Amino acid sequence: MGINPGYFVGEAFQSFRRNWVMSLVAVTIIYISLLVMGAFFLTGTLLNKVVSSFEQKVSISVFLKDGAAPADVQSLQQNLVADKRIKGVDYVSKAQALEKFKERTKNVPQLVEQLRGNPLPASLEVSLVDPRQVREVVKTIEADANLAKVIKNPGNPEADDIKYAQEVVDRLFQATNVVRLFVAVFMVLLFIVSLVLIGNTIRLAIYSRRREIGIMRLVGASNWFISTPFLMEGVIQSTLGALLAILTLVLAQSFIVPWLQSTLRFLPVTITSAALGQLSALLLLSGIVIGLLGSGAATRRYLKV
Amino acid sequence: MISMRNVSKKYAADKPALADVDVEIGSGEFVFLVGHSGSGKSTFIKLLLREILPSTGEITVAGQDVVKMKNWKVPYLRRNIGCVFQDFKLLPNKTTYENVAFALEVIGRSKHVIRTQVPEVLRLVGLEEKVDSYPDELSGGEQQRVSIARAFVNRPPMLLADEPTGNLDPATSLGIMSLLNRINKTGTTILIATHDREMVDSMRKRVIALENGRIIRDQSRGVYGYGD
Repeated sequence: MGINPGYFVGEAFQSFRRNWVMSLVAVTIIYISLLVMGAFFLTGTLLNKVVSSFEQKVSISVFLKDGAAPADVQSLQQNLVADKRIKGVDYVSKAQALEKFKERTKNVPQLVEQLRGNPLPASLEVSLVDPRQVREVVKTIEADANLAKVIKNPGNPEADDIKYAQEVVDRLFQATNVVRLFVAVFMVLLFIVSLVLIGNTIRLAIYSRRREIGIMRLVGASNWFISTPFLMEGVIQSTLGALLAILTLVLAQSFIVPWLQSTLRFLPVTITSAALGQLSALLLLSGIVIGLLGSGAATRRYLKV
Repeated sequence: MISMRNVSKKYAADKPALADVDVEIGSGEFVFLVGHSGSGKSTFIKLLLREILPSTGEITVAGQDVVKMKNWKVPYLRRNIGCVFQDFKLLPNKTTYENVAFALEVIGRSKHVIRTQVPEVLRLVGLEEKVDSYPDELSGGEQQRVSIARAFVNRPPMLLADEPTGNLDPATSLGIMSLLNRINKTGTTILIATHDREMVDSMRKRVIALENGRIIRDQSRGVYGYGD
């Protein structure tokens, strides 16, 4: 059969022109929905970077008393390494601790000069697979029989000997979870509105062409032939919305990210081109799915095919 | 070409629109279906086009079982049945040529086929002078010729006409009937639902008369009848 694929695209664009007000509204709403979705996606990737940079800093330090038996320290270290929740355990000797301290305070050399000998303790630096498990891991460490032998104050380890930055992590995760939930609900609502609006423009398009559709049925046009232009119209609308959203976000991030970088020097704020590629794919795909669902439902309902 | 066996159609429980209809129409026949409004003519035609399904009975059209047919196959059934209506059903924003070509375009015929078949059928119905006219520039008779051309351009084995002369004056109606007669001569089965008494009486073709959903008369070379 010699069906010209241009026929469907042509029909779809013609109908777009005919009902341009409704089409514009539908495109705008899809644009806004996808813009929100994309903005959230980008903020998410940024936040993930920041959180993971924090996560690397969230390690548990176990300070050892001077003169702890190396064998005891080693068996504690071995127990910890065997734990699946623990990524690694580094032994930092007193000398290394002093080096690190010097490094950190090199702007104020008097600080080190005033030190007599080396008052800094050796320590085990425990890094975690999932920083959210910090408390549980601390409990496990406290339960280890070797711990009492290597720290100063076995009665209350958390007073001096075990240190970790729990609260920062907790707050970070709480905040991102709330934001995630809020945005998810908002996005579902926007998607529903988009679906309804696309469905409505397709309904109008079908209504304005009901004579032609009647004749098409009469002379035996197949169902897919009748409905394809309408599906196409929905997909064109949503793709247009998606492309506009992608364009807006790419432009916006090219201004916002450098500004963030200059204001938040201490945080790693970057968006890779891979992330932008993912963003485009995500928005385009969501757009096409919304368009197909909306116009598919409308053709099913109003064309009865 | 058409076969109905014990076909009944009930919209409401008490009064059937069609009751126990048994009909055979052979290939190449020319048949009038007559009856008052509400006698079941429209139901008869809708059943053939599978716009509706019968309550009971079997229907075969052009070798296809209409009752058991899957929904998606219905368009292919309709390609075998050219349809002509009282109100022409032409697209006002398309010319004569475009209206006829539309019927071929939407069933996916190639441009080449369209370019050869459309002028041919327009010559057959005598509208070669009016190819570029829009429907509102044509007389009623001419518009009906366009709609016949559209129904026939795909060369279906059968034409179904529902009151084709209902909006036309007697002289024009005669022209339409002789056109349909000519198409019948090419071997196409023609079924015309009508209450145009003079037409039926002058043509002397097979007449199937319906009353209250039942066939009350089926005679070859018949007349309109009913005695009123």
